[in-house]
Amino acid sequence: MSRANGARIDRASAAAATAAALMTLALVLVVFYVPTDVGDGYRQRIFYFHVPIAITTYALFGWGALNAARFLWKGDPSLDLRSYVPMHLGTIFGTLTLITGSIWAHASWGTWWDWSSTELNTFLIIFLFYCAYFMLRFSVEPGEKRARYSAVYAILGVGLIPVSVLAVHLGQDIIHPIVFTRHGANMDNSMLFTFLVNLAAMLSLAYAMYEVEMRGKRLDERLAQIRRLAGGAA
Amino acid sequence: MSGSGRTFRALLRKDIVLELRSRELVPAMSAFVLATFVLFRFGLGGAHLAGGTRAAVGLFWVGMVFMATLGLMRTFAAERESRLWDGILSAPIDRAWVWAARTCATLAFLVVVQVAALPVFWLLFLQDGPSPSFWVLIAALVLADLGLAALGALVAGLASAVRAREVLLPVLYLPFSIPLVLVAVSLTVHTIPPQTSGFGVAQRLGFLALYDTLFGLLGWALFEYVLED
Repeated sequence: MSRANGARIDRASAAAATAAALMTLALVLVVFYVPTDVGDGYRQRIFYFHVPIAITTYALFGWGALNAARFLWKGDPSLDLRSYVPMHLGTIFGTLTLITGSIWAHASWGTWWDWSSTELNTFLIIFLFYCAYFMLRFSVEPGEKRARYSAVYAILGVGLIPVSVLAVHLGQDIIHPIVFTRHGANMDNSMLFTFLVNLAAMLSLAYAMYEVEMRGKRLDERLAQIRRLAGGAA
Repeated sequence: MSGSGRTFRALLRKDIVLELRSRELVPAMSAFVLATFVLFRFGLGGAHLAGGTRAAVGLFWVGMVFMATLGLMRTFAAERESRLWDGILSAPIDRAWVWAARTCATLAFLVVVQVAALPVFWLLFLQDGPSPSFWVLIAALVLADLGLAALGALVAGLASAVRAREVLLPVLYLPFSIPLVLVAVSLTVHTIPPQTSGFGVAQRLGFLALYDTLFGLLGWALFEYVLED
């Protein structure tokens, strides 16, 4: 038991150290290494944060929904926590996506919000969905029913992501710059390298946060168990 | 008729009969949609329609979603208040049929209200200006109603068993209606003259059908987890 806890603590610490190192490298690359974009100038560098944060958000929501589906399939209560924590972190990263996207929109198009931007509008819809997820989760008493309802709604959210992307494409005229096409990335090697380091930094940061939050939640659960036992004994 | 068919027919009949006896939903939804249209008319400037019929068509879709949300607030209310769940849950039936029957009943209620609402909408907003294509509007309405009903039956099932259910239902439901409204508005607004060329009506109707299929399948698969009490 103590060895398992030790392994978990080590994993969280290792993830945090990796995330810190990668974030530092990513910042150095963005500020000093990557060439300035010919069209958009220095402000284009926010791309190296905005897109990796957006991809990390999708990854977190996907991971949360996968664990929600596994919970419904297996009924293992620990999977509920492994579904909730990525959803929680995904909402934080989603908020960051909206903020960085809004800054980028202002720098590129002179407006804080562009209603024809696929990324921003898709994220807005998904963000509203995940706010609702938390409203649902905290409207049900902790236990199996809460886990089940949260899982059902999380899986519905996975359906909403492609539907929103498609709807925003069909419903509007798109002006968002297309960097990744079917023929590959529309950027040179140094830009692609910086982008990939930033993506790795964001994913490792999300993983470190996941491990730390899981540790905190497990400690909360154990504490609640001890309190219940102490209350029963008294 | 197979056992599943009989189950579905009995559940659908129960939903329709409950509404015919109580007359709770359809009259309230009709009065709500009428009040909403009048409110929108004054909101758009009263005598002179600000934004023209294009703005009115956008608000029409918003009104349809609000009306569906209102109807869904009472979905499963009778089951909850009269303890009908005990009977339904103890019956040896596939829970997905409960969702399917509720979806069809909600669809029927939406269509009945819209049959009355469409002429009122024309009278209030369209009689003096260009109108969207009638057949495209009808096709979009049928497909959108199916999606709203399929998703609504599942979300109403979730909301019916939690605290503050009346407040929570719109919060859970409205994010899903945004893509639907976005495409339905772009579809119907583009059929208002002068039309732009190269606009894919079939593509957008296809999206609405895809939405129905996706959330129909999810509703069918997930509803048993909502009723597992």
